[in-house]
Amino acid sequence: MILLLAMAALHAQVTYDDLLKADPKNWLHYSGQYHSQRHSLLKQIDTGNIKTLSAAWIYHIEGARRLESVPIVVDGVMYVSQPNEVHALDARTGRLIWDWHRQPALQRGPNRGVAVYGNKVYFGTPDAHLISLDARNGSLLWEAKLAEASDGYWCPVAPLVIQGKVIIGIAPGDHGLNGFLDAYDAETGERLWRWNAIPRPGEPGNETWAGDSWKTGGGDTWLTGSFDPELNLIYWGIGNPAPDFDGDVRKGDNLYTESVVALDAGSGRMKWYFQMTPWDVHDWDAVEVPVLVDAFFRGQQRKLLVQANRNGFYYVLDRTNGKFLHGTPFVKMLNWASGLTPEGRPMRVPGVIPSFQGTKTCPATSGATNWMSPAYNPDTGWFYVVAQEGCGINTKSRDTFRPGGFPYMGTGYVESPDEPWQMYVRALDLTTGKLQWEYKQIGSRRYGAGLLSTAGGLIFAGDDQGLLTALDARSGKALWHFNTGKQITASPMTYMVKEKQYVALTAGANVVAFALPR
Amino acid sequence: MRLILMFSLLTSLPALAQLPSRRRAQPPPRMEDAVPGREIYNRNCTICHGIDGAAGDRAPALGAQRRYLRRTEGDLHEAIKNGIGGTLMPSSPLPDSDIRKIIAYIRSLRATAIDVAVAGNQRNGEAIFYGKGACLDCHRIRGRGGLAGPDLSDIGVERKLEDIRVALTTEKPAPSRGYQPVRLTTSDGRTIEGVIKNENNFSLQILGVDQKLHLLLRDEIQELAYEGNALMPSDFDKKLSKEEFQDLLAFLSRQARRRAQ
Repeated sequence: MILLLAMAALHAQVTYDDLLKADPKNWLHYSGQYHSQRHSLLKQIDTGNIKTLSAAWIYHIEGARRLESVPIVVDGVMYVSQPNEVHALDARTGRLIWDWHRQPALQRGPNRGVAVYGNKVYFGTPDAHLISLDARNGSLLWEAKLAEASDGYWCPVAPLVIQGKVIIGIAPGDHGLNGFLDAYDAETGERLWRWNAIPRPGEPGNETWAGDSWKTGGGDTWLTGSFDPELNLIYWGIGNPAPDFDGDVRKGDNLYTESVVALDAGSGRMKWYFQMTPWDVHDWDAVEVPVLVDAFFRGQQRKLLVQANRNGFYYVLDRTNGKFLHGTPFVKMLNWASGLTPEGRPMRVPGVIPSFQGTKTCPATSGATNWMSPAYNPDTGWFYVVAQEGCGINTKSRDTFRPGGFPYMGTGYVESPDEPWQMYVRALDLTTGKLQWEYKQIGSRRYGAGLLSTAGGLIFAGDDQGLLTALDARSGKALWHFNTGKQITASPMTYMVKEKQYVALTAGANVVAFALPR
Repeated sequence: MRLILMFSLLTSLPALAQLPSRRRAQPPPRMEDAVPGREIYNRNCTICHGIDGAAGDRAPALGAQRRYLRRTEGDLHEAIKNGIGGTLMPSSPLPDSDIRKIIAYIRSLRATAIDVAVAGNQRNGEAIFYGKGACLDCHRIRGRGGLAGPDLSDIGVERKLEDIRVALTTEKPAPSRGYQPVRLTTSDGRTIEGVIKNENNFSLQILGVDQKLHLLLRDEIQELAYEGNALMPSDFDKKLSKEEFQDLLAFLSRQARRRAQ
């Protein structure tokens, strides 16, 4: 009995208060904190000692190929996932505590991570379920079906736990499957609300879909959003309309695809939306992590929401009401719009739409940025983003929706042969979007690796060649790097155990952790 | 479970082996069908496969330089008509006459240089390759020649005739990965010229014109200049006579140490 009590005492439960405060020793959310700034207050590792940062341990996940999971750390325990699997590790040593494997395992990927609350770990599965495991031994507590996997739905999303509710989205919109955002009771798995990303007949916004095109409109919710506890609003980016490249069959703005929406956390009702790309025909999902910052904007203290969007523009919104405050390109290669109107609507360049022969489109469909996380450093006041400069050749053809999980894309894109794609890390002024510095990731052309900012004055950035690099947050100068050996397609995070700070990330099939030598 | 799986695999092997022979024999494709076949293909197949045989978002390139699972007319007809089990490839409602045209088009996309009749005198072409063309400075065939460019010993089965023609006559927008020409001075005063095999922000792996590897950290380099253009000349149709150019094509198109399986 004494042993049992001692065991229970060893394992701290994660409370809502913990999730709100997000002690920097832990990494409790996909994006670190509810505001998704991905800025850690840990500063044991700093610009002065970064040169001595060394690999502390490597944990290999058998069968993994391209992990996209961001590890979650609670009081020295790391939870990391790949599709159908959760691994709990000793965050100091990388030693396995338990692992859980879903059987039968439907093979669809990736998985971007877990969420924690109480004594539970939550994660989504390739067969479109939300799973709850006991955080101490990995035993299955409950599972909730999000959607029919046989329809083609699956879940790569790291959940977000708010006030005892597990918030989770769904994929894929590219198959003409309509997206939604769900809230489940964290204790029981009972569904508390669902918000449908594509409005039905009679609901506002349905008129933005020609005919019955709303039925197969897409609009998935495949990347974790943010939360403002004061406003009690969840902010979530919505994916592309379907068919992706053929807009002829879905004339209209196609709400709420390519939008950021603000939902009441209690009821799931939408308070506002802002659509970045009305009638998108380039597959520019607006799912990129919305970052919440309270800052002075043109002399006035405001609650801002900023997003670097896949369409090439950086947006500054008032997150209380969704009002557009400012927008500017953060990539040079942008040919589809000449700018934004005072309301933030793109001024489209005629003819830059997919065609049968192919239309040069910049940014490429892979986007000016994508799921790789941005970061905001309150010390510099700058927003940091991974940007891809490049163009695609976008083609179109008439597609037919087929139930059962078939792509409903209306064709696709290839890389434009004129100039190779190139990846950059860029620092933008938060409120103006003005470029402060850029770091060219030489030899890196493919996206996927995100950023971490720390109070040590560092920006950690991965790249497609497997390098994890630490940059000086003020100058953009590379101060340290490590070759993890495989393309990085996830974002780094940091935590502290027994007064030692670690930086960790998934890279290829491995979890790699770094710390200063003793 | 494993036993059952092994048993089912073993029992299914003979069935697999018989599969092609059970398929209905299809009349050979007529190459003239490739033209209407292209139109039908681009209208029906590019939802998943890329346009004009390129790779799509959801399915492979049907005309790329690769080994193909389905090579015979029967295999291709079966795949288009009835779909491919366990994949996203669906069955097609197209009439057989259209499917045959698509097959003709796919076959035309796939033919490598060695599969196509090429006019010209191979012996003369060989002489040009080793002499007037100066190809040997950068390329090698069967162990003889330079290292800066790709080995051409199998170019006949690796590339289509049109690709070879384009490579000899058209300037590339930018050097290919692994063949970026560079000229640099090291901190200790050495000058190195060559092509960059790989690079990142911290190191470069260079194959020098001296045919040696030079592995450098960026902080060991004082000055570095990337050449904008690829080393490969693109004027062979101008510096050679029409006949000489055709002879060189004939020679290159027949280079194969192996035939594709």
